[in-house]
Amino acid sequence: MKKFLLFTIKTIFIIILLAVLLDYSYTSIYLKSSNRNKIEYVYNSQPQNYDVVILGSSRANNHFVSEMFEQKGLKTYNYGMSGGHLFEASLMLKLMLERNYKIKNIILETDLNLSNEHQAEGVAARYLPYFHVSETVRKHFEKESDFKELYYIPFYRYIKYETRIGFREVFFGLINKKSKLLDHGGYYSLGNKKGNMKNDISTLKPLKNKYYEEIKQLCRQHNINLIAVMTPMCENTKGMNYFDKVKKSYPEIHNYENTVIEDKYFSSCGHMNDAGARMFTAKIIEDFFNKQSNIQTSF
Amino acid sequence: MFFNSLSFAIFLPIVFVLYWFVCNKNKTTQNTLLIIASYYFYSCWDWRFLFLLVFSTFLDYYTGIRIEKSRKESGRKFWFWLSIGINLGFLGLFKYYNFFAASFAELMQGFGLKTSPFLLDVVLPVGISFYTFHGLSYVIDIYYKRIKAEYNFVDYSLFVSYFPLLVAGPIERATHLLPQVKVKREFDFGRAKEGIYQMLWGLFKKVVIADTCATYANAIFDHYETMNSLSLVLGSVYFAFQIYGDFSGYSDMALGMSKLFGIDLLKNFNYPYFSRDIAEFWRRWHISLSSWFRDYLYIPLGGSKGGLWMKIRNTFIIFLVSGFWHGANWTYVAWGFINALYFLPLLLSKSNRNNLDTVVLDKSWNSVKTITSILITFVLTCLAWIFFRAKTITDAVLYINNMFTNNHYTSQYLTNERYNYELIILVLVFVIVEWNNRTKVEPISGKYQTIKLAFCLAAIITLGTYSDYKEFIYFQF
Repeated sequence: MKKFLLFTIKTIFIIILLAVLLDYSYTSIYLKSSNRNKIEYVYNSQPQNYDVVILGSSRANNHFVSEMFEQKGLKTYNYGMSGGHLFEASLMLKLMLERNYKIKNIILETDLNLSNEHQAEGVAARYLPYFHVSETVRKHFEKESDFKELYYIPFYRYIKYETRIGFREVFFGLINKKSKLLDHGGYYSLGNKKGNMKNDISTLKPLKNKYYEEIKQLCRQHNINLIAVMTPMCENTKGMNYFDKVKKSYPEIHNYENTVIEDKYFSSCGHMNDAGARMFTAKIIEDFFNKQSNIQTSF
Repeated sequence: MFFNSLSFAIFLPIVFVLYWFVCNKNKTTQNTLLIIASYYFYSCWDWRFLFLLVFSTFLDYYTGIRIEKSRKESGRKFWFWLSIGINLGFLGLFKYYNFFAASFAELMQGFGLKTSPFLLDVVLPVGISFYTFHGLSYVIDIYYKRIKAEYNFVDYSLFVSYFPLLVAGPIERATHLLPQVKVKREFDFGRAKEGIYQMLWGLFKKVVIADTCATYANAIFDHYETMNSLSLVLGSVYFAFQIYGDFSGYSDMALGMSKLFGIDLLKNFNYPYFSRDIAEFWRRWHISLSSWFRDYLYIPLGGSKGGLWMKIRNTFIIFLVSGFWHGANWTYVAWGFINALYFLPLLLSKSNRNNLDTVVLDKSWNSVKTITSILITFVLTCLAWIFFRAKTITDAVLYINNMFTNNHYTSQYLTNERYNYELIILVLVFVIVEWNNRTKVEPISGKYQTIKLAFCLAAIITLGTYSDYKEFIYFQF
């Protein structure tokens, strides 16, 4: 039995050693990689100057055509992240400000994502490599229920979110494989409709969202003009009064839910195709950026 | 509580410590602890099914004794058929009732008669097919006077409910397991170390091979209509490795952890994808089930002793029943049928027992022939697995049809956000490791075992799939 105890201790020691070494290696690779996703692109970036920065979920990522802003002479990047919530958008803005980004305007997609304050695990996971090197990231996650295990157990975060930050992603980071997500100024266009053009959002309730408030406050502190907008949904959506409820809670959020309605402009019910996104972006540019002096603000 | 869960990683060391340090006085204390642990383990799924397990245990224990004690043949028969009837009745009720009721309603609908069948709203108790087969083999062996009835209820209970094999086998025989639980086990370092290695290799097969292949196989099978030929071919290969990694991984973990308690379980897999024909495949795949059907169904039916038609009939019966054992769905029956078709030419040409030796390759033409045979067998197996995995027989047929008619062999981006070809290297590396260690139980032991152990652990940590696909496929059977 003594031999077995020693063998067990040796095995456990190997596991711990591997966890520590792998954690260190993975983190080191992520600290050098900057072309796999928008989070590492910001994290490992130099100070930037932007006229317009777009934040939000896929409904920002697929709806705001950066190139159209650029054609107007506005230096723009779409930092919308598919699957993301305001939790991640808020942290993204914090990282940008920490890196001395100079931003004039932020367009924040605030509609369906106002209904929860949770992290979107698939997206939030991409911040986890910076847990031990960034105070900002650590603080942002501090109140999450799984913070302790993710923070203190070496390599656990890479195991738990292996599909997002696991071996495959590290390998691509190591060989410097570029992701398409960063092309076209961060805008990701969608093709024509594939599926059922209907949705039910009647169960969603807009909250007084902590992370939206956080973003508003950061914008105020840094003199950034915040333009909060609700973006279009397809016609056949149940519970459209959700957008009225948002407007009631947050009158400063501009409702563009009805700007594009025809199904032919949608790829799925909540996501416009490229043609729809261009129509919508044109409307936004016209309303907010045609005359710089006429810019409407959200606060 | 799955073998690859955190709760099991806590449960197992606690039982191990209690077993060797607290309850090590005699075999009764050892067995009692293992029974308590097993019942706790089983109740973690659904405590209500524990009553079913206890009832099944008591039924076979009692009827076994009554069969042995009955002096008249009629009495022996009565207790024998009572046990068989109740055991199969439970299995039929929980596993097959809804299937037969729905199939009957469909059949009636075909004749223009509309019926609304009464369906049971029950969950299939985990492992019912496995512990029912344990009990059946025990009672049948007593009836045919191959073994003596077990009078010690604690020992018998452990035989039925021993947690490493409780939910997905191997399906043990009283002749193999009961003698081991009837003596006090002494700790053996070599055996325990081998057990740890086997468990780790099983875990590797489960989380690295099976669960990773599952993400690809699911993405391909669930959208087979939009997949090209290459994706469909790869989908069937990935599923072949998913089910192999899943079930043989589970078996390795079961066998390995059992060694920690000083008990050897029956070998369940013997590198089946290196088989040179289907008969050999079935001697290497789920061995405890194949041999169960051979001993308790095929041989009693006459085996291969009768005439030609008898042989053919028995072959089809054993494969169809084997397919149906896996689940109440026509896809499993079709899978069994296809395997019977594969097996038939070997049986008729009396070459079903040609490949009994271990595969050896050298620089001769024979090796080319061997490799070709292995590849052909693997391709046939993959085709049959399509029926096993598909939701319906129509889906399986369309899948195969698309595979052969699409004729596009390009890369495809799947719904799991991966390209269809990405897993090929991992699968090939796995095949090479298995090939090089095909004479051993696991590849870690032997020369440089510490380094191999570190590699295995590193692979489990870095390459495993942990966000999804935790359940073992065979738990549903």
